[in-house]
Amino acid sequence: MLGEALAVLAKELRSELRSRVALNAILLFALTTLVAVAYQIGPYRIHEEDRPHLLAALLWIILFFAATSGLSRVFVKEEDAHTAKTLRLAARPGAVFAGKFAFNLLLLAVLEVLIVPLFCVLLGYSVAGPLGLAVLLAAGSVALAAVATMVAAIIARASGSGTLFAVLTVPLALPLLVMLIQGTRAAAGSAEVAAVLPALRGIVSLAGVTLVSSAFLFPVVWHD
Amino acid sequence: MTRLSNILVWILGAWLAVVCWAAFHYAPTAQGFVGESARIVFFHVPQAWVAVVAFCVNLVASIRYLRTRNPLDDARAAAAAGLGLLFSILATATGSIFAKVMWGSFWNWDPREVSIAILLLVYAAYFALRQSVADEERRGTLAAAYAVLAFVTMPFLVFVVPRIYWSLHPDTIINTSGTIKMESRMLQVLLGSVAGFTGLFAWLYSLNVRLARIALRRRQREEG
Amino acid sequence: MPETSSLFWVAAVTVVIWVGLFSYCLYLHARVRRLEEGE
Repeated sequence: MLGEALAVLAKELRSELRSRVALNAILLFALTTLVAVAYQIGPYRIHEEDRPHLLAALLWIILFFAATSGLSRVFVKEEDAHTAKTLRLAARPGAVFAGKFAFNLLLLAVLEVLIVPLFCVLLGYSVAGPLGLAVLLAAGSVALAAVATMVAAIIARASGSGTLFAVLTVPLALPLLVMLIQGTRAAAGSAEVAAVLPALRGIVSLAGVTLVSSAFLFPVVWHD
Repeated sequence: MTRLSNILVWILGAWLAVVCWAAFHYAPTAQGFVGESARIVFFHVPQAWVAVVAFCVNLVASIRYLRTRNPLDDARAAAAAGLGLLFSILATATGSIFAKVMWGSFWNWDPREVSIAILLLVYAAYFALRQSVADEERRGTLAAAYAVLAFVTMPFLVFVVPRIYWSLHPDTIINTSGTIKMESRMLQVLLGSVAGFTGLFAWLYSLNVRLARIALRRRQREEG
Repeated sequence: MPETSSLFWVAAVTVVIWVGLFSYCLYLHARVRRLEEGE
């Protein structure tokens, strides 16, 4: 099954590299928002005492909404291109989910690698614990990709619209977002990795719970 | 059967009337709250409780639907979700009124406030999803999948995040030591109110399910 | 006058919720009864 999942991932990567639709959407959205925010706010406008919460929240707003714009079409594009039926025959549901999930995870990774350092530079965000932040980003990406992939599967069988995706994802992702912002504040404030542990525990459990439920729910939703 | 149900309706009505009276006259004035505003807890807490109960009923019905594909189970899930939506709106509204009286503003971003609002968003998203699917079986399947997904992510907001955050919410019931600090008469009225509202929910739920059953049977007769 | 106003709010909310919900239940109850007898 790992082989099948990797094959699905490879297919996703190949088609994405050809058209770059999702990648462009994500990066464009993130860069536009970041530049707009940075231009208005810059490194000096926010008062020292407000900086920790505001900057953490802003970072995650940018990342989250960019992700919502780019991750939603991962199943809809199969329905649109009429390749969904072939995919159902060609690979097991678990492999399809795993491949698409890995693809979304990679998209998020690219997004974060590009945007987070840029954010810190443009807004003067000094992070005391970059290792903690990196761990948090990794865990958060897994959780976000899991939720997004499962919801994308659901909406592809519904109306497929991006609005529906956003409507469905927001209530599920809010706890995750809150924990991530909390964790980012902790990471920025302290050099010890232990500072992010409370938020990290929550995020990892959320990711685990989502992946396990998706293992059961995805085949049901995917089945014709 | 009808005699029994009529008697039960009378009992429920009388019970609720007694709880109403008791909320204003039997329970003592709470310390530390603005005027008599704490009395709203006798209505607010049961509504939040019922919203959560409805969520659980919806979960059970959704899981059953995923197993049996019986349209009645889908009707049960929808009925529970509709009532859940109603009661979460009521809980958010009463919580908001209390916040206004107590702290002067309708919304304070307290984690518990936010979690009941998110439950409301989940219900709204659930119905948005249902409305966007035309095919009945697919509608039931997708809605059930979303309900399960929402159910596994909710505990994080309700239980995990408040542990990370300080909360404005009065700690009368759930607190760190785990003991019940409420005065006994207030507790009696509160439990009575919880019982009354649960009875109201059970009645509304069974009525809705019976209506759905009638509609299903009528449709089957027309088709058959 | 915090005391009177807060009691007013609480009482208003109570009446609306209680009476509203209960009447809706009674209405549904009667309707389901009629439909079930009609079958």
